Amino acid sequence: MTVDNLINWFPFGAEWPVITFVSAVLICAIPVFLFIAVYALVAIYGELKISSFMQDKVGPMGQGVGLHAGKWGLLQPVADALKLILKEDIIPESADKKLFILAPFVVFVGAFITFAALPFSQEIIVADMNIGVFYILAVSSLGVIGIILAGWSSNNKWSLYGAMRSAAQIVSYEIPAGLSIITIVMLTGTLSMQGIIISQQGIIWGFLPNWIIFNNPFSFIAFFIFFISGVAECNRTPFDIPEAESELVAGAYTEYSGMRYAFFFLSEYANMFVVSGVAVAAFLGGWNSPIPGFMDSPPWGLFWFIGKSMSLIFLMIWFRWTFPRLRVDQLMSVCWKVFLPVSFVNIFGVGIWNLLVG
Amino acid sequence: MGIVHGDLMTLNIGPQHPSTHGVLRLKVKTDGEIISEVEPYIGYLHRCFEKHCENVTYDQVIPYTDRCDYIASMNNNFGYAVAVEELMKIKVPERVEYIRVIVAELNRIASHLLALGTFGLDVGAFTPFLYMFRDRERILDIFEVLCGARLLYNYIWVGGVSHDFPKEFVKIVYSFLDYFEPKIKEYNEILTYNKIFIERTADVGVMPPEVAISYGVSGPNLRGSGVQWDIRKNETYSIYEKFDFDIPVGSGIMGTVGDCWDRYYVRMQEMPQSAKIIRQALKAIPEGNVHQALPKKIRPPKGFIYKRTESPRGDLAYYIVSDGSPIPFRLKMRSPAFTALSVLGEISQGWMMSDVIAILGSLDIVLGEIDR
Amino acid sequence: MSEDQDKYIAEVVEKALRGDMDAINNIEDRVTRSKAKAALIKAKRLSKTAAAEAAPAEETAQTDTTPTEKSLNQKVAESLEKKFSGSIDSEDVNEHIQLNGKNWFEIAQYLKDNPDLLFDSLQCITGFDFGEGEALEVRYNLHSMTHYHAIEIRIKTDRNDPKVPSVEQVWRIGDWFERETYDMYGIVFEGHHNMTRILCPEDWEGWPLRKDYETQETYHGIIVPKVKEGWE
Repeated sequence: MTVDNLINWFPFGAEWPVITFVSAVLICAIPVFLFIAVYALVAIYGELKISSFMQDKVGPMGQGVGLHAGKWGLLQPVADALKLILKEDIIPESADKKLFILAPFVVFVGAFITFAALPFSQEIIVADMNIGVFYILAVSSLGVIGIILAGWSSNNKWSLYGAMRSAAQIVSYEIPAGLSIITIVMLTGTLSMQGIIISQQGIIWGFLPNWIIFNNPFSFIAFFIFFISGVAECNRTPFDIPEAESELVAGAYTEYSGMRYAFFFLSEYANMFVVSGVAVAAFLGGWNSPIPGFMDSPPWGLFWFIGKSMSLIFLMIWFRWTFPRLRVDQLMSVCWKVFLPVSFVNIFGVGIWNLLVG
Repeated sequence: MGIVHGDLMTLNIGPQHPSTHGVLRLKVKTDGEIISEVEPYIGYLHRCFEKHCENVTYDQVIPYTDRCDYIASMNNNFGYAVAVEELMKIKVPERVEYIRVIVAELNRIASHLLALGTFGLDVGAFTPFLYMFRDRERILDIFEVLCGARLLYNYIWVGGVSHDFPKEFVKIVYSFLDYFEPKIKEYNEILTYNKIFIERTADVGVMPPEVAISYGVSGPNLRGSGVQWDIRKNETYSIYEKFDFDIPVGSGIMGTVGDCWDRYYVRMQEMPQSAKIIRQALKAIPEGNVHQALPKKIRPPKGFIYKRTESPRGDLAYYIVSDGSPIPFRLKMRSPAFTALSVLGEISQGWMMSDVIAILGSLDIVLGEIDR
Repeated sequence: MSEDQDKYIAEVVEKALRGDMDAINNIEDRVTRSKAKAALIKAKRLSKTAAAEAAPAEETAQTDTTPTEKSLNQKVAESLEKKFSGSIDSEDVNEHIQLNGKNWFEIAQYLKDNPDLLFDSLQCITGFDFGEGEALEVRYNLHSMTHYHAIEIRIKTDRNDPKVPSVEQVWRIGDWFERETYDMYGIVFEGHHNMTRILCPEDWEGWPLRKDYETQETYHGIIVPKVKEGWE
């Protein structure tokens, strides 16, 4: 399902090119939006339940008659979503109204359009661009503009703190993340997401799947740098200093409520999926089966891709409920003093490895 | 180009804020993330404790002491009862002393659990907080069995305690201790030795011993600075001289002596010591009447007393002046959290926003006791 | 309270002591009557304790003649008398040392720095009111973290113009303790850098812990509930 296929499939493509293009994009956008919504519900439920098991409690449970959260609390995320939708939407009097309203959409759009280049399976990808990796890196940093807008327009010191921290953090962590991706491009020689995944088919070292993470020691390190940077870009604990509820109340989102807050919430979860998805596609073989040749058909590809992404998301949830939060200067020094030099060494290492071994 | 010095921004942390541990307002002058001045504003919970006390009889004061430090009510009752008994020169039965020590030490564990858990929460660790609350809950259950109340006990009275131990109570406490002691290891694994936690707390908010003493800081905060001072040992009251226990002091294992981590770790080490005291007390507790020395009407002779006891937060002292009537002529409570908070402005200068929250958490203040 | 009323109460109490309780019971004004009753109880107690105290005072005098060691209080009092003569108010130093507030700052510095005393920790400052129309007092509980000893120092001050030198520069905790005492008793600590209320709101009127304190009627339009009378 790519936009190109759709455009070609429309019988009147030649006569009304603009209408064809817009309708093709819309047709692709709706399932993606539905996917994000459903996935967010699942992820929220997972977050609730996983944290509960880690913290020696039961989490949402359905018990007794009347209004309750369904069996095992399955309806809890639905109730949460309903609550957010029905809640009063408050815009502070001294806020910059236009920017205040705009901010959540910018953040959500930043997360949403990244999905266009995520290869869900051999056939399911919205647009298999030849610069897919580049597109994802470029577009995913749009969200930070929304966060700055939110922090500035709220006219609240806490929000401003959160926005400034968030901007510094996301911009810094883009660099090691980008540099780690460069190692992939060097190994595979393509910027297309599908191309990267296709190059990871087969077996390496005799028994391991031919995933880039197992390709050489440098790409192994690059995966961890990318994933940790990704967690930082999602503003998740231990890097949640922009929100830091014990210091900044709710950071950039302090003044938001109801549906607008839900958009930030949704885009945080969407970002988690994007980071996991890119990590899976770039390092963990994408939609390839872990055992080459076993359950390796296109429908299974979807299963593998989402399954692998979800395991990474589980890892993020695990982080969140285990670690304390870093301080802002420590966060920066980790980025600039550890990840950045190591990433550069990685690039050299991969280059030399390619010359000698590959 | 030199460093740009802009104007300072004034930021109000509180009175409503997730990490102020009550209703506290910190007026903070910041230069970006760096804090240049912290000024605590207190009094939001002021309930005229001392004025109340001048209008009620001696035994009616006890519920008010509960409400001062609502995290460690038993210890507050205990301190007050000890002070009035010394003023009246009455001796309470042996069994009462043992009961008091047991409940006070249980409450010390509960209070430390809360302090450590919320400190973890202040630096962003949510799970240890719930682990510690889970275990604190068990202590509250024990107190519920004992006196029916879970937070404000009104249990230790002048000359005795309100009830004797119920049946099987000793067994319940034993089973709690058996459950609790191994848990310390779990806390240490998840929080104490966590790399990020150490990064956040070691070397942060260092309180040198001279500063601590000059500010009258006491209890675990003072011991965290490496000063060996515990009223239970140094100026023993009740029957603490009968028990064998250590006083942990901060030694700067992870950073400088007197940093947030040391203050945290002193509390962590104190909990097994309290458990040790409880075990010894449970073994040696004699039979007897707990109401024997309970006076019908408390009329201390003319005089005054300044009596210190060791509450989980430090030197809790009562200054009581009696004019021979059944009402205290003057009752002053020297609150350890009051002095602990006063040092905040001094030790948090030049640290970052997040550190101020961590330092505040490490001081373990209870606003009810500060404002009284 | 007017002087006439004082005189009247004194008269009535005098009568009551001679056995004429009706004199008090017939007072029409409720406030005056309760005041008169309080004064009567006080007068009775005074006469009783005066008789009772005479005996133990002799006892302590006897035991005090024999001691071999000087108590800490006496030691401190002697050294203070030597260094700052005329600063001690009362001869009796067994329980506490009564200073008159002169040179208090220097004395505090001396108490803290003298190697024999080393009172490096100010434990508590307690404000004290002897009753309506009488003096106010500040009580300091000092403690030494090196020698593990403690003393109590008291400084009386005038009710209408209460002033005591501040010791916040000697012991830093003095800052908040003095503000608290100021808040509750209105005792001004001279030399304190920020003599403002700490627990009560800044615009609160009156000094709550003084014995003659009357709550204000309204505070920012909110009616302040009156304290119910007595504990019975």
